[in-house]
Amino acid sequence: MDFWSNPYYQQIAMFIIINAILGISIYLTLSTGQLSLGNAGFMSIGAYTSALLTIKAGFPIYLSIPVGGLAACLMATVIGIPTTRLQGIYLAIATLGFGEVVRVIILNLKITNGALGLSGIPSIGVSIGKQISAMGFGNGAFGLTVQQLGNFSVIVILLMVLAFFVFFTMRLNNSRIGRAFAAIKADDHAAEVSGINTTAYKLLAFFLGAFVAGIAGGLAAHITFYIGPKDFAYHRAVEILLFAVLGGSNVVWGPLLGSVILTSLPEILRSAAVYREMIYGALLVVMMIFRPEGLLSEETIRLWKNKLSRNTPAKAVDVTRRTS
Amino acid sequence: MFWQQVVNGVTLGSTYALIALGYTLIFGVLNIVNMAHGEIFMFGAFAGLVLATKFNLNIFLAMAGAMLAGAVLGYLMERLALRPLRRRASSHLAPLISTIGVAIFLESLALRLFGPQAQSFPPVFPGGLLDFGMFKISYVQIMILAISFGLMLVLRFGLAKTRLGKSIRTTAENIETAGLLGINTGKIIVFTVMLASGLGAVAGVLVGLAFNAVEPTMGVTMGFKGLAVLILGGLGNITGAMVGGLILGVAEVFTVAYGASSYRDAVAFGLIIFLLFLRPQGLFGSQEQQGGR
Repeated sequence: MDFWSNPYYQQIAMFIIINAILGISIYLTLSTGQLSLGNAGFMSIGAYTSALLTIKAGFPIYLSIPVGGLAACLMATVIGIPTTRLQGIYLAIATLGFGEVVRVIILNLKITNGALGLSGIPSIGVSIGKQISAMGFGNGAFGLTVQQLGNFSVIVILLMVLAFFVFFTMRLNNSRIGRAFAAIKADDHAAEVSGINTTAYKLLAFFLGAFVAGIAGGLAAHITFYIGPKDFAYHRAVEILLFAVLGGSNVVWGPLLGSVILTSLPEILRSAAVYREMIYGALLVVMMIFRPEGLLSEETIRLWKNKLSRNTPAKAVDVTRRTS
Repeated sequence: MFWQQVVNGVTLGSTYALIALGYTLIFGVLNIVNMAHGEIFMFGAFAGLVLATKFNLNIFLAMAGAMLAGAVLGYLMERLALRPLRRRASSHLAPLISTIGVAIFLESLALRLFGPQAQSFPPVFPGGLLDFGMFKISYVQIMILAISFGLMLVLRFGLAKTRLGKSIRTTAENIETAGLLGINTGKIIVFTVMLASGLGAVAGVLVGLAFNAVEPTMGVTMGFKGLAVLILGGLGNITGAMVGGLILGVAEVFTVAYGASSYRDAVAFGLIIFLLFLRPQGLFGSQEQQGGR
């Protein structure tokens, strides 16, 4: 009970879930073999749209966040149509450039308050807390205060959003669209020759990734009260990429695992905080050398399933190593 | 006013061209975009700065030292982060991600070693200025122009005429055929990475002199500009990198001069996103060379 009522842990749990959603966003674009470094840019569009709608136009939060996602999607149309025709490296650089352009524009616009960023964004936790008070639990319930209850509900809501996206992605993988994605990832040309409209599917993956990133941005904005252009710079894009690289980009659980590890690790290793970026950098190189498919791959999942169905979990300790 | 801006733009553009050449050389031979090039550039600038301030070396010697430091960094990167990947023959995204890792590592290392604040070179040729009436040009600008165009000419000539240059071009054309023809492609790759990194480091010192500021974050910003030039000129195209650099330099200076100074950093990528609509292979790229196809 102590764990769930401690605001520090609650905060970390929220960040883990938001990063997991971001992990799904990069998984979606990577599932067609496209490396997009623009997810931080889409995230910032979602975050700023949602925050501005609530602050300036008085939108309710539950409406502004999806609108933020749609805004990111709209931007993906503008940027995606020329760039998805490009091959891997061109796409990576073009999306990287897109992220930079978005950052500079946000830095210079008046409505986004430039380098100072937006503060006083209505928080989901506080508004839920108000609802709870209005329902007559002003002194809290279940031994928790109103604030703790509010935070707890936020975690539940975030988990539900995450669960929805995971479910969606898994259903997608088994559908005609998912199969097309996998075919494009395995061999672009062979897929095209087999009659798959590769451009359309790549664009679709790009859209979906942007939408999910926009939603994650909106959620992040309404949890932290404050957003600034620095939150969505190049380093953010690389961090999102790391989730997929560390966890594994072939299965949806990979980026989820990556985001959980990479969000909780800095909290555990507080003393090594100054070396955090250095460790991240070295980790990318080491992963690429020894296990480019990430910690979790399709074989790992299959092995685990076999082990579990034979009810011998004790032997399943070191599977991650053996599969490579 | 106009001609003054052109001079400033060409000076700035020549340094961009030098950075972009590093990207292009590595792309040509290895078919990867070296995302750590900007950080090697930044380390070169700091190496030059330390040599010039702590050891009181002449600026030209400091530049040579920086070039050496850049080459050493390039060697280490090739050895530790690129060669192991080539052995495994993994996907084409792996080296890109691996060099991003090197970039993050180097940037945060520079933050630890040199601190976050901008530092400046001791004044070179203080007050030296030539006045042509239509425009003025400082001795520092002349030096930047002379060194970067000099290096570009040497490189151009070296690649076209010397044995080593021909080996590099053969390796870039087709690495397997080059190996069959008796070229030690492993050595050529190492040499090319070192050459590109050395050029990047010299560009670092020149940019440090031009802006009179050297800081750890300059690697990312200038690295991005180099990438933009790379796309602008066409991947793996030497002429494209040179011309693209000059175009970007002039475009940026004019953006600043005519009002939109705060959008300066967006110009580069605005330019390439626009270009990608019209000519995805870049200004000088050929159709079939597109993105490692």
